[in-house]
Amino acid sequence: MAFFLEALLGGLMAGMLYSLVALGFVLIYKASGVFNFAQGAMVLFAALAMARFSEWVPGWLGLESKFLGNLIAFMLAAVLMYALAWLIERLVLRHLVNQEGVTLLMATLGITYFLDGFGQTIFGSDIYKIDVGMPKEPVFLLEGVFQGGVLVNMEDVYAACVAALLVAVLSLFFQKTSTGRALRAVADDHQAAQSIGIPLNKIWVIVWFVAGITALVAGVIWGSKLGVQFSLTTVALRALPVIILGGLTSVPGAIIGGLIIGVGEKLSEVYLGPLVGGGIEIWFAYVLALVFLLFRPQGLFGEKIIDRV
Amino acid sequence: MSQKQIGDVILDVNNISLRFGGVNALTDISFNVKEHEIRAIIGPNGAGKSSMLNCINGVYTPQEGSITFRGQTFSHMNSRQVAEMGVARTFQNLALFKGMSVIDNIMTGRNLKIKSNIFLQALRIGPAEKEETRHREYVEHIIDFLEIQAFRKTPVGQLPYGLQKRVDLGRALAMEPQVLLLDEPMAGMNVEEKQDMCRFVLDVNDEFGSTIVLIEHDMGVVMDISDRVVVLDYGKKIGDGTPEEVRSNEDVISAYLGTSH
Repeated sequence: MAFFLEALLGGLMAGMLYSLVALGFVLIYKASGVFNFAQGAMVLFAALAMARFSEWVPGWLGLESKFLGNLIAFMLAAVLMYALAWLIERLVLRHLVNQEGVTLLMATLGITYFLDGFGQTIFGSDIYKIDVGMPKEPVFLLEGVFQGGVLVNMEDVYAACVAALLVAVLSLFFQKTSTGRALRAVADDHQAAQSIGIPLNKIWVIVWFVAGITALVAGVIWGSKLGVQFSLTTVALRALPVIILGGLTSVPGAIIGGLIIGVGEKLSEVYLGPLVGGGIEIWFAYVLALVFLLFRPQGLFGEKIIDRV
Repeated sequence: MSQKQIGDVILDVNNISLRFGGVNALTDISFNVKEHEIRAIIGPNGAGKSSMLNCINGVYTPQEGSITFRGQTFSHMNSRQVAEMGVARTFQNLALFKGMSVIDNIMTGRNLKIKSNIFLQALRIGPAEKEETRHREYVEHIIDFLEIQAFRKTPVGQLPYGLQKRVDLGRALAMEPQVLLLDEPMAGMNVEEKQDMCRFVLDVNDEFGSTIVLIEHDMGVVMDISDRVVVLDYGKKIGDGTPEEVRSNEDVISAYLGTSH
């Protein structure tokens, strides 16, 4: 039983991280109707920025405190993500108002490759560390209930708390503010949004910035767990089945989808893996996504698309 | 029927010409709109009616000419400026936020008017709470007016066409516009829906005091509800005046019925 719980928790934690990346996709899709292929590249870019700034900043400012160094590095990385959002709007999106979704998708594909290359050009292409001082030591819980207790990684618990906080803030922003309403409006119809005085350009900068911050948080958490390296971009591919499962337009969907995929991967690997010789973890998520596409294409929480003929 | 007070000129269109490549969509169009009147723009398909509306709305920038709105003259402006000045519009092909509820759709029309800090809004505290309530009340008033109370929480995409048209009008009304541009508000409607819409247009004009510029295909409707009519054909103005004057205008008759050459 303790073993099952450990596998379950491990899956939930991995799932939480998938959710964070998926959230970035959902935000941009919800708010601009664009499927942002570049989300994975943004995670890598943000993580690289964070890793390198936290290396450089103490040297530039002669800081002793690691916390302060990290804080400033995080803020600098956030500013960089804002600059990125602004540039993307100015150079790419502004020229594509009222275009088909597929045109915008191709544009984000271009942004992906640009960011991959550009990030490594300015920040280097080695493997870097992010150390934000999350406790590494594992803790044993429920020792009274099971023999040996359940092994929990405190780092994961912190990560989960941060992710939960981020989600709460984002939901409030989307559901309760006029800016959130404007974002949803822009997603549905550019022209109508303009006609009621919603400034498309400003809205796009906001959306991409929010997605950038999500990427930064995901990047910091992933980075401090696994190190910052190019393979972070593939994490984004893991987030695709999450979105299919949860629904492209749903913030809670991204979270729950991520958790389901995380848990499903771990449990299937642990319990079904031995029967087929292992390796289930790699493709499990995609198969699950395929099944969902067959039976519930809008995902668990997505908006059902109704087209009048 | 109450005698309405038609005021001074609020919107003045001067010598507008609009070209797309070699195609002259509008050639040297001038007309004015007076406060509180219902002004119709009519004409056969492709006459340039929607182009005219898009010029006023800031979607298209005409190559020549200018538009004077409440004493200020512009040769080009963007949609946001136009919205800020108090011009709202509806669309010929519905352009609603389909995934959002009726209430949220109409609330977006209030967006320009919401001023409180975004953090206060997110937490619904202090002045933001009051402001939200105030806007919400106004939106409820519009919903009552348009008789769509029963659908306020329904996603707009699920409503029948005639009701979607009303939501479109509601969203524009939420901006408390001084000038309301209606692009074929009755297109594709059955007789009953048309009658309802006519009533709404007249009531809007009456109750909200909005000046209305309206494009319409249905001659009967136009002649019944509008105060003055502009007639376009092939991008040129061929008639301008009261419905009676326009009805007896030779050029208008031939444009609509064809002539024997």
